[in-house]
Amino acid sequence: MPISIRLDELLERRRMSLTELSGAVDITLANLSILKTGKARAIRFSTLEAICKALGCQPGDILVFADGQGD
Amino acid sequence: MLHATDRLTKTSRWVVRAARITNGVFLAAVLLGLLLSWIVPVQFAALLIQQPAKVDVRSACAGLRWLLVLGAAMAIAAEVLLAALAEMVASAAAGDPFVAVNARNLQTIGWALLALQVLDIPGALIAKFFPSLGSAAPDVTFSPAGWIAVLMVFVLSRVFATGSAMKDDLEGTV
Repeated sequence: MPISIRLDELLERRRMSLTELSGAVDITLANLSILKTGKARAIRFSTLEAICKALGCQPGDILVFADGQGD
Repeated sequence: MLHATDRLTKTSRWVVRAARITNGVFLAAVLLGLLLSWIVPVQFAALLIQQPAKVDVRSACAGLRWLLVLGAAMAIAAEVLLAALAEMVASAAAGDPFVAVNARNLQTIGWALLALQVLDIPGALIAKFFPSLGSAAPDVTFSPAGWIAVLMVFVLSRVFATGSAMKDDLEGTV
């Protein structure tokens, strides 16, 4: 999929673990892991909003469209 | 509510299991009867028709054979239906009924119900062409409810297919 998730980089920059983010956004670690590894098929606005709020970023910082990559 | 659902699926499981056993016994009896009608035709006729016979014994035996064939076909259709239903009940009991396989199960149930409806036609033909069967002849009456049930199950199968696809999508949503 040409859309990739930059959750890893954002977490690293903020020195935050996925478990900590999970607690902050009230989304299970399993679901966040699915999102982080790019296995998610869709993302809810509410999830995006919660992550943006917790990491102090914009949706565009999390989702990146890179045409010509992957399938 | 959950307990009521649990009870319902548990009861359904037992009902379907009992129905399958009964149907299996019926099918075995019908096949045995059919086999006996060829192996020992004289004893078979004597067992069924009291002497002195007031009816055409040969015609009655032929009619009975067709009746047994019809019974076997109906039992096979019922087994196909019950097997699919058992799978659906099991998935409901496991808490995950909205799966693509259940859409196919419903479709199978639809085809089995259709077969049972269509088998009314040979039933009526047997009653018409073998009057010597008397009260043993199948009493076939046209039932619109049966045909509507067939249609309903096929429509439900489509609903299930769409529902399970939507659920799959939802499962990948974070």
